[in-house]
Amino acid sequence: MSSSQSNNDVSPSAAPANARAAAPSDAGAKAMRWVVRFFSAEWSGALLAVVLMAISIEVFTAGKPFFHPSNLLTIFNNAAALGIVAAGMTLVILTAGIDLSVGSLMGMSAALVGYVASYWGFDPVLSILFGIAMGCAVGLLHGSLVAQFGMPAFIVTLAGLSIWRGTGHLSTGAQATPKLDDVFNYFGRFNPFSPIRQAYKADTLPDWLSWLGALVDSQWLDWLRTFQMSTVILFSFYIVLAILMSNTKLGLYVYAIGSNEKGSRQAGINVKLYKILAYVFCSFCAAFAAILFLGRAPYAKSDYGMMWELDAIAAVVIGGTSLFGGRGSIWGTLLGVLLLKLINNGLTLAQLNTFWQMIVTGLIILIAVGLDIVRQNKNPLRVRQMLIAAAAALAFFAFVTPGSKVVSSWIVHTEHKATVALQEELAPQFKQPAPKQMQRLQTPETLQTYADAAQDSALPAMLFGALSLGAVIMVFLAAPILIYGLMAAYGVALVLALALGLGTVAPFLVLAMVLLAGTMVVDPLFRRAASLR
Amino acid sequence: MKKFATAVAVLALMSGTAMAQSVKIGYITKSATNAGWMMINGGAADAASDDGAIELVTVGPAFQGDLSSQLEVFENLVAQGVDAIAIAPVDSAGVADAVAGALAAGTPVVAVDTGVVGADVTSFVATDNLAVATIQGEVACGLVNNGDKVIYVTGNQAQSTGQERRDGFYAGFEKACGDSEVLVVPTEWNSQQAQEGVEAVLNANSDVKMVVNAWDGGTMGAKAALENLGYSAGDVKLVGFDGAGDAIVAMDEGWVHADTAQMLAKMGYEGIKAAAAAARGQMVEGRIDTGTFLVTPETSAEYKALIGM
Repeated sequence: MSSSQSNNDVSPSAAPANARAAAPSDAGAKAMRWVVRFFSAEWSGALLAVVLMAISIEVFTAGKPFFHPSNLLTIFNNAAALGIVAAGMTLVILTAGIDLSVGSLMGMSAALVGYVASYWGFDPVLSILFGIAMGCAVGLLHGSLVAQFGMPAFIVTLAGLSIWRGTGHLSTGAQATPKLDDVFNYFGRFNPFSPIRQAYKADTLPDWLSWLGALVDSQWLDWLRTFQMSTVILFSFYIVLAILMSNTKLGLYVYAIGSNEKGSRQAGINVKLYKILAYVFCSFCAAFAAILFLGRAPYAKSDYGMMWELDAIAAVVIGGTSLFGGRGSIWGTLLGVLLLKLINNGLTLAQLNTFWQMIVTGLIILIAVGLDIVRQNKNPLRVRQMLIAAAAALAFFAFVTPGSKVVSSWIVHTEHKATVALQEELAPQFKQPAPKQMQRLQTPETLQTYADAAQDSALPAMLFGALSLGAVIMVFLAAPILIYGLMAAYGVALVLALALGLGTVAPFLVLAMVLLAGTMVVDPLFRRAASLR
Repeated sequence: MKKFATAVAVLALMSGTAMAQSVKIGYITKSATNAGWMMINGGAADAASDDGAIELVTVGPAFQGDLSSQLEVFENLVAQGVDAIAIAPVDSAGVADAVAGALAAGTPVVAVDTGVVGADVTSFVATDNLAVATIQGEVACGLVNNGDKVIYVTGNQAQSTGQERRDGFYAGFEKACGDSEVLVVPTEWNSQQAQEGVEAVLNANSDVKMVVNAWDGGTMGAKAALENLGYSAGDVKLVGFDGAGDAIVAMDEGWVHADTAQMLAKMGYEGIKAAAAAARGQMVEGRIDTGTFLVTPETSAEYKALIGM
């Protein structure tokens, strides 16, 4: 939006020359400054990735309303526990540390809180406080070992990963608890609007509030049904943390220690204390996340939170925080968590094959981090290359359906031929092939079906494959005249695809052409941004 | 030494039966934390204590599905000279070489729950996942109308158990419900994935009538998802697999409508019994089927009595 606006402003016919010189058309300059400010924020790469991801899911999951508020709220609800773990992780990583134990600690806290509440007769509130106190104690231990005794954070918390998982299993016998007390719902699935709705339905709402009851009831299915405490707590937590980070010594010193520990010590910062505090906070977050998780889970069990440490670290890094410390932001982490959950949710809705989901998840994470690298690079050439690479990826997505038919036909025929050859080789020696080896032998009909499918898909596969390959080459050449050629090629492919009845790939190709056109305005935009500085 | 022999003789007299030859059996399980596996492991422990002369060495992998650590444990046990091994292979084909090696060295190997492909075993003690899942699919189809939308929560599709349960479900379900759309929620035996996936799919498809699960951890995750979205028991039908205790409780509350139980404790029990018999040089059947039990609200009391719930 802002780019088109500033484009209009630079066009020479827009205003008399002197007017432009005096005030480089205020609106445009303002927009440009906003763009520059946006991209200099650490979280902008992650935000861009989240928005792109959301739009592509919306476009490519036909008839399944992704942007439905109740679905978005579900994503927030399910992001809450991981989001809070990742918030703690952000602080530790900002000090140039790492905490690999968060998943195990989250599992142990969940299991023990559920255990004392179910079997020791602890009051639910008391058991929650117990869990959080235990989390803080674990953090104190980790932090002391790292800061006081100088042990590497990676090793201390790797040991923690193993110890706390084992402790959780051992102390609860790895058994699930019965269903937990309703108090836990207030940290999870409780909907703040549901009492209002119930009162409205039972006609017990005071008159002056009946308008609210009617409103809640009418918006229930579409909007409010999945508005739950998880979401409320997640966002409140981040808001409070962001305020703390920018207004307290802890926030300031965490960055200072991460970017230059020696210098911070010389400047009189109590480095040990603040490092310990960062680990305590991180473990506190893991324990608090366990409570949030219990609010939505069927029971408490010690195998919760497996591999969460990796998801949390990924979210922090996607959010623009440097693994070497000193640079990053809390809001980026929240966006990173949302991106991870968005990918899960979107791929489930898209009903993509399980193994493809794994591959696509990895590719999206790479793209998200790539966006951030390009953003930091501040080089127009890199931006152009990124746009062309994205166009190449889009052509590849168009290639996947026909391409996989051609490739699988080729694989099936190769397997069949090799099995036949093996049989012929073994038969004179009276030997048996290994079990399961004969599975790859196909009937002539199956072979024919594959061959037919491959033949039908050969032309589109070659077309989109060549297009993708051409775009990849163009990433390295990136000469303007060649990009015009590439755009034309995409246009031709679009027409051919429509003629062949492959309407589903049209959005990919159109989007790719838009991106390629975008490469033309990158340089003018950068020049303009520079002139404003 | 003499004293010890006397003590043994006295003990044997006291027990009133001839003392069985004492054997050391290595039991390699797939998981120590999964509810279903804990029932199998419990059955194995019971077999050892009932027999009285079995020294059971139970070892599990570092995490569920870790083939390399399972192979390591297997070779350690063979090297320690156990009399027989009962193993629940993480991967049917992956353990074949190790199993063939142990058998060649004279150590009997009994496969529990999951078979071994590519090597013979002394005995294979299990319910047939494919057959039970086919029953699950048929029963599930009977709970809805042909054409109703349903969700299927898978197990790990990179493991044979997960593949067989999925294939069996589809085979049974599509016999009479071929017009129904099946929306898939993929998991790696992780109830959190089941919960999040079911929430996502239900949000976008409010016309889903039933959630069928490849294991009862998924059933409990799906139940939590329904509760999170404000559904009540029975709004969306749940079908489970395993007959785990918490799923049976959920059935009594009206959430779960059918559950194909494998006789899990029996599987562990028979597996260790077969291994002990083989170690003592007795004949053991090559395939011991531990059967299945279809738990429905009508039969749940009978099932609970059977497993001692």
